Amino acid sequence: MELAIFYLFASIAIVAALGMVVLRNAVHSALSLAVVFVALAALYVLLNAPFIAAAQVMIYAGAILILFVFVIMLLSPRVDQGAGALKWQRPLAALCGLVFAVELAIVAASALLPTERGPFTPERLAEIGDVQAVGALLFTDFLLPFEITSLLLLVAMVGVIVLAKKR
Amino acid sequence: MPDAQTLWLISPELVLAIFGLAILLFAIIWRERVYGALAWVALVGLALALAAAVNLWGAHARLFAGMYAVDMFALFFKIVAPIAGILVVLISMDYLRERTRYRGEFFVLLTFAILAMMMMASSANLLMIFLSIEFLSYMSYLLTGFLREDRKSNEAAIKYLLYGAITSAVMLYGLSLLYGISGSLNLGDVALTFSKSADTSVQTLALVATALVLAGLGFKISLVPFHQWAPDAYEGAPTPVTAFLSVGPKAVGFAVLLRFTLTTLPGLPEFANYWTPLLVIISIATMTLGNLVALRQTNVKRLLAYSSIAQAGYMLIGLVAVNLGGSSPFSGLNGVLIYLFAYLFTNLGAFVCVIAIENATGIVEIPEYAGLVKRAPLVAALFIVFFLSLAGIPPTAGFVGKFFVFGAALREGFLVLAAIGVLNSVISVFYYFGVVRAAFFLEPKDTSPIRVAPLVTLSLVVTAAMVLLIAVYPEPLFNLAAWSMAMLK
Amino acid sequence: MLDRYGVIALFAFVAILFPAIPLAMAWVVRPKKPNRSKRTTYECGLEFEDFPQAAQNVWVQFRVQYYIYALIFVVFDVEVVFLYPWAVAYNALGLFALVEMVIFLGILVAALAYAWRNDLLKWV
Repeated sequence: MELAIFYLFASIAIVAALGMVVLRNAVHSALSLAVVFVALAALYVLLNAPFIAAAQVMIYAGAILILFVFVIMLLSPRVDQGAGALKWQRPLAALCGLVFAVELAIVAASALLPTERGPFTPERLAEIGDVQAVGALLFTDFLLPFEITSLLLLVAMVGVIVLAKKR
Repeated sequence: MPDAQTLWLISPELVLAIFGLAILLFAIIWRERVYGALAWVALVGLALALAAAVNLWGAHARLFAGMYAVDMFALFFKIVAPIAGILVVLISMDYLRERTRYRGEFFVLLTFAILAMMMMASSANLLMIFLSIEFLSYMSYLLTGFLREDRKSNEAAIKYLLYGAITSAVMLYGLSLLYGISGSLNLGDVALTFSKSADTSVQTLALVATALVLAGLGFKISLVPFHQWAPDAYEGAPTPVTAFLSVGPKAVGFAVLLRFTLTTLPGLPEFANYWTPLLVIISIATMTLGNLVALRQTNVKRLLAYSSIAQAGYMLIGLVAVNLGGSSPFSGLNGVLIYLFAYLFTNLGAFVCVIAIENATGIVEIPEYAGLVKRAPLVAALFIVFFLSLAGIPPTAGFVGKFFVFGAALREGFLVLAAIGVLNSVISVFYYFGVVRAAFFLEPKDTSPIRVAPLVTLSLVVTAAMVLLIAVYPEPLFNLAAWSMAMLK
Repeated sequence: MLDRYGVIALFAFVAILFPAIPLAMAWVVRPKKPNRSKRTTYECGLEFEDFPQAAQNVWVQFRVQYYIYALIFVVFDVEVVFLYPWAVAYNALGLFALVEMVIFLGILVAALAYAWRNDLLKWV
């Protein structure tokens, strides 16, 4: 059953991701991307990470996507008429994509690795609670990355205002 | 909860964070009225951070659950970073005055960029590595596009951003695979997993994952084939930013690359069989392509861009030939560190020369440098010093760096690699000499003297003095590099 | 896992069904006698086709302010995502987590202050 749900959402994600690349209209691509984000959130839930799933929906499907749509609208959307001058790059891009796909296949072939597991197994998470665990880690071990994130957000905002503010 | 000892150990970072925020607050409260003073605030902050880093010399600790290493290897880069920052502030004050309305914000971004460099040097954790690289990248993109009225600056920033976004996505994928293998973000644990597991599938996966990480780091260091952004970004960026980009991200990119490879790879004995040839090929391609394309450049910023690509190729030789086992003075690692230190002053100095001319006249094309010796004799003379150093000719700092890097290659038996390195140095003399020829032997169209701003002169003198000093009295640098090497283990 | 999220799936399913059923029923039951003004989008008397050609292009370029608003929204959205685990784990973390969060929020308030000072919270 779990596997069936996984395949359902994985195929939704893949189809939507393809749609994002293939669709000519940038706004349609963005909407397709929203579907990808939501499908990925469902996969996170399957992986016992409901907090990440919620964050995914809030930040990516919510905030980031709105940002994308505004950027698209800012650039006065025109329907993309095809590659034009970059035509010769297509076979090259296909080749690079193929190489990358082979690499991924290697990774997938060795997917059942006897890998190490972190301390937070699904059982342990079920016991202490997912958000609890994130909170407890974020504010103890990971406090440096946490504070850096705020600095990063700050400078991102300063930078955008410097670059994009209307005079 | 971090105790006082922890805070003390990250004091350089804290100083920079506080000063960065303070500059921003001043800019918020008083705006244009204090813009002139903010550069000096930034200078004070950078100097204090430098002092704090020097003061910590000898420390050896792992902070924040092992994710943040304060050792001499990191401190070496924490000394390099504020020095670069101070020089960039000195040369950007006059440059920015006429060109942007946001001078205050420039120094906010620059201070945080130096902070990001320090964090990269200390990162011993996959998450910290990614976060600090992204931090520095964002600062670099913003600084590159800082002249928003200038279309070339915009173009440079966009190209840089697109390239950087893709490579960091690739790198993040590699990092996530490493996390998947080891179940831990700390580099030490990743290495432990590698060495414990005899499984070939771990080896395969590790190879793929580390190759993906190399893509992200190669972008920061501008190794071939991840170098395409560099010439356009360097040409379009405000020249002080170009100077910063050519030394700052490159130096700490090497810091991460060295820490990453030297901590994780020894766990994979077979691994060297794959990595060494890969790095050799990248090194040769980087040197050769950088130098050959530089031969054809007429814009001095593009020329220095290709030249700095080639320089990264030389430094990579040191990593290829790294051998921490013996007691030989040529460990490869110290070669990279000495080279980086020499390159810092040399390349910054060359860019200060470019800025000195560009500020007064707007000239960046090499043919227009004709007769520079009559118009600005000091700048023209120092051009020779910096170019000698970049080409690796004694008695300059660049020679010391090349000596140790090539020496390590010879010791480890990479004869062909060393020969190609020397050959490339010879090629590089041609294009460096092209600039010198224009400056000294061609007749100027306009003979009016060029007035060089005092702060620019100061940074010229400082960089040139350091370039010569390192060559004449290199012993402290040897020790510095040797210590930081010992502490990496 | 399924027992916990089965409810949510069921809920989502019902939520989709709920508007779909009346629409489908209306589609089956209603008489179909279209004319021109019924087929217009808003049925308000102002016909889109009557506008001049230039005004018919609704894909207009947005102003850059929308982008800056969206970015400010992203910044504070991320902040909320961090606040949530902090609030949930607060009792277990103690005073120092409060200090951390105050620093975090303080830095983001500086970002807001910068935007404010640059008149970006005003719609010009």
